[in-house]
Amino acid sequence: MKNIPASIHAMIARLPEKGKRTWQSSLPEYLIHSPDLNAALTYMKYWMLNCKEIGKFGLECAVHLGPVGAIRLLIKNPWLLTLLKVNDLMRRYGRGRTGRYLESICMTLHTIVAGTNDTLKQMFFSPDRLVIIEDLLPTDIMHAMGLAAYQLEGMGIMLPIMDPNSAMKYIDEAENEGMNPDACSLPKTTVGMVLKGHMPTGLALVSSNLPCDAGAASYSFFQRVYDVPIYRVDVPYHFYNERAENLFIEDVKEMITWLEKHTPGRMDWDCFRKICENRNHLLELELELWDMLRVRPAPLASEAVWLSHLWHYNVSPDYDASARLFENLVKLARKNLENNIPATENERYRTIVWNPPFLHFSDIFNWAERTYGLTLMNDSMSYHHHGPIDISTPESMLRGWSRIVMQGPMVRHTRGPAENYLDDIFRAHKQFDLDMIWVANHVGCKGGQAMNGILREKCRERGIPLLILDYDLSDPRIVSHDNMKRQVEHFMDNVMKAKRIEH
Amino acid sequence: MSTEKTKIIKLFQELLENPQNRLVEQAAESGRIPIGYACSFVPEPLLMADRLFPVRLHATGVAGTELADNYLSSLLCSYTRSILEFAMDDRYDCIRGWVFVPSCAHMQRFIDNFDYLKKPGFCHVIDVPRKVSAVTLAWQTEELHILAKKLSSHFGMDMSDASLMKAIGEWNRFCGVMRQIGDIRKRPNPSITGAEFQSVVMASLASPKDLILPHLEALYSEIEQEEGAGKYRARLMVVGGHLHDPEFIDIIESQGGLVVADRFCTGSIPGFRPVHVNGDPVRAMAEHSFEKTLCPRMMEDFDTRLKTIIDTVREYHVDGIVLEIIKFCDLWGVDAMPLVSALRKQGIPVLKLEREYRLGGEGQLRTRVQAFIESMGK
Repeated sequence: MKNIPASIHAMIARLPEKGKRTWQSSLPEYLIHSPDLNAALTYMKYWMLNCKEIGKFGLECAVHLGPVGAIRLLIKNPWLLTLLKVNDLMRRYGRGRTGRYLESICMTLHTIVAGTNDTLKQMFFSPDRLVIIEDLLPTDIMHAMGLAAYQLEGMGIMLPIMDPNSAMKYIDEAENEGMNPDACSLPKTTVGMVLKGHMPTGLALVSSNLPCDAGAASYSFFQRVYDVPIYRVDVPYHFYNERAENLFIEDVKEMITWLEKHTPGRMDWDCFRKICENRNHLLELELELWDMLRVRPAPLASEAVWLSHLWHYNVSPDYDASARLFENLVKLARKNLENNIPATENERYRTIVWNPPFLHFSDIFNWAERTYGLTLMNDSMSYHHHGPIDISTPESMLRGWSRIVMQGPMVRHTRGPAENYLDDIFRAHKQFDLDMIWVANHVGCKGGQAMNGILREKCRERGIPLLILDYDLSDPRIVSHDNMKRQVEHFMDNVMKAKRIEH
Repeated sequence: MSTEKTKIIKLFQELLENPQNRLVEQAAESGRIPIGYACSFVPEPLLMADRLFPVRLHATGVAGTELADNYLSSLLCSYTRSILEFAMDDRYDCIRGWVFVPSCAHMQRFIDNFDYLKKPGFCHVIDVPRKVSAVTLAWQTEELHILAKKLSSHFGMDMSDASLMKAIGEWNRFCGVMRQIGDIRKRPNPSITGAEFQSVVMASLASPKDLILPHLEALYSEIEQEEGAGKYRARLMVVGGHLHDPEFIDIIESQGGLVVADRFCTGSIPGFRPVHVNGDPVRAMAEHSFEKTLCPRMMEDFDTRLKTIIDTVREYHVDGIVLEIIKFCDLWGVDAMPLVSALRKQGIPVLKLEREYRLGGEGQLRTRVQAFIESMGK
């Protein structure tokens, strides 16, 4: 009782600050400060569409679970409230951007909101056929088997993007439970969410040895908590050969058999064919988009490239909405190219970011664009050299699909010789006509850390400026946003001799 | 402790002072070929065929890793940094070939950086799967056949079945004596301490087996009938990853905890099982490589690891477990979370210690172990 007045007093004292933040992230504030009418209309359109999707999910919860059930869901999964900040994220991404560039980013984010809706429905509305899978394994096969699936690390990736501070309590929970603090913060966040009971259980777990030790090792813990059967796929170390492909395909076939034994799912090869066709279509579109990005200045950049890939390739490649987004992105890029309209009028420098994106500061490239005219052309989570899947037989489909998994982001970079890591970087450097390379030097990523020495020397040999930006993937306490910006400033000022853009 | 035993133990301790001890140099000078390796998944008998002999890489006595840190980063396992440091310093200049396993991210990057910096003439990576099944056993067998072929073609070695059977016989003899020595530690008053045993194990793994075997046999005959002279308050088991410096165990034992069992990479459990050949010796070695390790990299073996530790606690009458984890090790760091909880649920006291590969923080270590033993009521 004694503390109540003090708490109320503290809340009142914080009001101006909260009020200021609420105003800064509000729609009217954006409209007042928007660069032009077109940008204002674009932003407003997607702001409302996002609200509509959020409302739709709320309604579906109320219908499916009942009002009491819906409230209980929210209490049990408080992180759902963090997802409401999507319009704030759109604002951060959209700052200073206009025209088709702005539209591409707002559109990308909106499709992710819709996709998240669908993922949440799978998570909460289908417990009788829900499978939990590790994030670098696509949901394709589960969906082809008529199962619902969610990637356990998914929210660990999404939450800090929405709110930089949202992963901290989960990280602390994991560390307090005894997880090594130097482990990657994504498995720590995931472990913390599971410890707090914030992730729904399923019928089965499917994990793998991807991408790293902490991620793979955490599944022993998850298995004991969820107490459900688990299947683990194992990607060989040397995977660019037929022998390794054959081994992995056998593993995937066993996984399918195992899922048929432990879940109500049944493999539908026609459904899987459709999914593979969708993937092929996405691939075609993405390659067309990347081709256009080779032009200087680029017609689109940044979130239109990496965020679109992150979600639509890894979470929902089988959705028509994913293909439609990429069709629209290609259209927007083409229109910009035809009309000589660059994504950003101040494009002076181009870069790629290697290693996982800056989750809790994903709008750093918005800042870099406005400050130095630096555009992000691609990143290691998106960049690939996949070929289309041969959809003629189940065997050929499995082979093509398996290659996508084995040669996927982080997977191909953490397996096999160093060339698997390095060659990609220099290929991308050439492909996109880059001026520099950024390495997102996540403190918890030992595989990435241990390549910096060689990379530094190789870049020096080639005369490529290299920024190794120290940060933590999901925990902003390790390296603050200010510190990250300062690292960029030091690099751009001293190495690139870049002048800042006058506003 | 008898004078003879003291002399033999001192010999092992001296052999451990150098990453390439005099037995390695002696064998190399006589035309034999030392092959360096760093992981327990490497089948030693395969590297004992013909004139080959395996040398377990260690960096006991490493003073710092300033050179290696430029490449491997100071946020990586200090074992990999230490052996890279030694490699960059040419401390392994006798070694003619290298066989590695990408057991973890740290080891993988060690391999990458080692290959980049030293450009070794022979460097092979065995792609050991992370789970055991009929399919992966067949894969592992094929991997070892590939290695055998490469060793044969590069060094001109006889890797025929007969040669491999001879090597397996030699390995089994070595294991037999090691197990006999290890079994002495099950006794209420063992005549060999944990630190002494660790010196023996590490020195033996880093030496040609035929040259170290007489010393092992001599040691066994000395201690077989002896009773231990030390007074200890508790019997401990050490569990964890790479532990090469017996000083670490010595410090634990200085506080009254006798280390009677070791479940770490170069420990006795399950480390010294013989290879049972039933047909193809390479397949037998593949099976053996899975059986003789209990590493958290093996994704499906958590329950087996847990059970083995619990069974060892019962068999060796262990009072408590010291779980030592090299800082930045994700495999053990993450695995420890459910492991410690499961062990404590079984009523087994556990002390979890984070450490570096080279001994440091001795005062803290002493205090922690002392408090742990007291907390067990010993």
